[in-house]
Amino acid sequence: MASNFWESTQRRYWQFTKDELAAMRQKLEDEDPNLVQMYPLPQLRHINIYLNQQFNRLAKRLGVRQQALATAQVYLKRFYTRVEIRRTNPYLLVATALYLACKMEECPQHIRLIVQEARGLWPETFHGQDTSKLGECEFFLISEMSSQLIVHQPYRTLTQLQGEFNLTPEESQAAWQAINDHYMTDLPLLYPPHIIGLTAILLAITCYNRQNTAGGANAAGNSGGLVMAANALAHAQAQSQARAAAMGGNSGPGTPNLTPQGSFAGGNFSSQGGRELGDGTNPSDPKIAKMQRFTKWLAESNIDIEGMIDCTQEIISFYDCHEQYEDLVVRDNIKRFIKARGLDK
Amino acid sequence: MHHHPHHYAPAVPNHHNPSFASAMNPARNLRAEASYQQQQQQQQQQQRTSSYPGDRGGPIQYQSKVRVTDKYKVIGFISSGTYGRVYKAHGRHGQPGEFAIKKFKPDKEGEQITYTGISQSAVREMALCSELNHANVIKLIEIILEDKCIFMVFEYAEHDLLQIIHHHTQQPRHPIPPNTIKSIMFQLLNGCQYLHTNWVLHRDLKPANIMVTSSGEVKIGDLGLARLFYKPLHSLFSGDKVVVTIWYRAPELLLGSRHYTPAIDMWAVGCIFAELLSLRPIFKGEEAKMDSKKTVPFQRNQMQKIVDVMGLPTKERWPLLTSMPEYSQLPSLSPPLGGGHGGHHGHHGYGSHHHQSHHGRGGNSAAASVSHLEKWYYNTINQQISSTAQANGASSLSVLGAQGYNLLAGLLEYDPEKRLTAANALQHPFFAESPDPINANCFAGVKMEYPHRRVSQDDNDIRTGSLPGTKRSGLPDDSLRPGKRVKEN
Repeated sequence: MASNFWESTQRRYWQFTKDELAAMRQKLEDEDPNLVQMYPLPQLRHINIYLNQQFNRLAKRLGVRQQALATAQVYLKRFYTRVEIRRTNPYLLVATALYLACKMEECPQHIRLIVQEARGLWPETFHGQDTSKLGECEFFLISEMSSQLIVHQPYRTLTQLQGEFNLTPEESQAAWQAINDHYMTDLPLLYPPHIIGLTAILLAITCYNRQNTAGGANAAGNSGGLVMAANALAHAQAQSQARAAAMGGNSGPGTPNLTPQGSFAGGNFSSQGGRELGDGTNPSDPKIAKMQRFTKWLAESNIDIEGMIDCTQEIISFYDCHEQYEDLVVRDNIKRFIKARGLDK
Repeated sequence: MHHHPHHYAPAVPNHHNPSFASAMNPARNLRAEASYQQQQQQQQQQQRTSSYPGDRGGPIQYQSKVRVTDKYKVIGFISSGTYGRVYKAHGRHGQPGEFAIKKFKPDKEGEQITYTGISQSAVREMALCSELNHANVIKLIEIILEDKCIFMVFEYAEHDLLQIIHHHTQQPRHPIPPNTIKSIMFQLLNGCQYLHTNWVLHRDLKPANIMVTSSGEVKIGDLGLARLFYKPLHSLFSGDKVVVTIWYRAPELLLGSRHYTPAIDMWAVGCIFAELLSLRPIFKGEEAKMDSKKTVPFQRNQMQKIVDVMGLPTKERWPLLTSMPEYSQLPSLSPPLGGGHGGHHGHHGYGSHHHQSHHGRGGNSAAASVSHLEKWYYNTINQQISSTAQANGASSLSVLGAQGYNLLAGLLEYDPEKRLTAANALQHPFFAESPDPINANCFAGVKMEYPHRRVSQDDNDIRTGSLPGTKRSGLPDDSLRPGKRVKEN
């Protein structure tokens, strides 16, 4: 349903496992191996970073709200699970997705204005496009998405819960930023929005406000915060399992027993971090108190903690991979197939 | 524990009457539908793998994977509006049931049709209908985007409330059977509750938009103006013009509120209830047109029609009344004349009084704010039935009794905060009285058959078709019209 995530088309049709996602992408590549071989592309996350930048540039010119920008990025992600990127002009798709998302998010933009701004922004790759091309592309986009246009966003979770967890404005801002960043990963196709929203809150509490940096990229370096995040989740999981056991049930399927060490790719989490949240915590640290409150809430809420662990991992590893990102490489690779295949016409 | 584990749990549609709920979900067609869906999925996959035949580069030309005329056989034309046209169709591949295909007209008529971008209202309707799934909301089967046109394929409904009401006004005029009214209202409220719990506002409820299938299931249709209201950033304030056909428009909208709430739909439901009882719109005002400056005028005539029956609203009954943008217009309205039906007295107060002229009605105001709805109700349900109608088996509405009035008054409550919600209305004692349980078939026990929807053979070509929407081309927006009082086409 429209506002009910569990009944929504997003959950029913647009939430995949990592394997499913990989299989879909493989299938697209297998349909035309020559095409893939002829036009090599950098890793998907780097393409996503690049497209995210393009979205941001266009949205900034048009004064588009973040919510519409987020929806547009999800549209593009969905589309590219169905259509091989090398068959398309990604710039046209970016403009079209933004055009459609603005209508859906109740901040419509005139099609002519979008085309005009996109031409100004991407003179080399967009010059052959006009309103009728964008209109045609809109049909293509909607059709591939089976007209399922309502996207549930993690921002709502954040706005609903920031009071619950007494987030400072800086923490809210950091969580908001983490949500913005997750659109560059596969997470929107993998997890429900509230799992992502809660992960963003967790990251904000643990990682961001120590260094007090707005951008997310620095968070990866803040291993102390990560230890805390990992332990918070492990702690919540243990509490939740203890509760389930106390209530006479077993932890049941879907609540695997993860240790903090095993749960993060980096594996650099010491058990010292664990003690921070243990009984010997220092209650005078407001951050610890906040953390405890969050952990308790999680443990009591039947939230998919394993999912949150994976989300945390994905976001952290994304920040790592962000450091190897090179703008020009992606741009040139995309330009190559656009030009060679006449996709700019 | 402060935090409920189901913080994010689904808002399960709350069927207040389990026997009713189960009756609303017949299992009979499930198997047929399931096998059909399987077949369809297989087809789609085949089509998908053969998507871009001969792709040698160059921009992809959009081509639909499904062609509407390959899949559906159009039987005839049903109706048209500024959005486009609606056709009746059958499935060509054994799809169960009949279909209504809504074809949105392409933006430019005549000459060469080009892609110009899909209208925001079409985008909304496509998106919302794709998510909705409830027995009392018209079901979307699929959307086909083909040849620069949008085809929305819906389940077909043989009747609508406008048609049914119209049938009962035919000589001899006879009331709609009370149990039919009860079932219609319950189903209508059930559909509204579903929409509202899912944060969807319909915004254009009126008899013509309430469909009824031949098996007596009520289906809310035409979500062309529907919106989500959970995004408080912007959606509570409508970016577009005031909607809701004027006769069904809530007083807070008439008084200038731009705040859209579910209560606006509930006022319309109250108006529909009244119309089912009396067979004519209860507040049949005349719409004041927008002036050249495109400012939205105060709908004085419509507001007067409401006041004629309901009395003038007071800040005692409606505390936020004084903060309504058009509050200052109220004193220029005439107090109701002694009760009875609205509409007997001509255009008093219509444009002739300046809004200051009645300021300080003083001692008059108590009488002016007295509601005559109760009188209206009992006059209506106790109306004599002609002997001819009686001979045809028409029965009196008087059995609807006091609870009927109570429900009507709860829906036609001036203060939107106090107005019944769909969920409250479903719990109303009106529905607990006989017959119990409410029949999920609103035609149960009705001997005669309602005339079928007229399907014209003039235009059977859904692909090219005659120019869409030409029949009402003079009107700015069909949905803003005060409804047609004749059958479609």
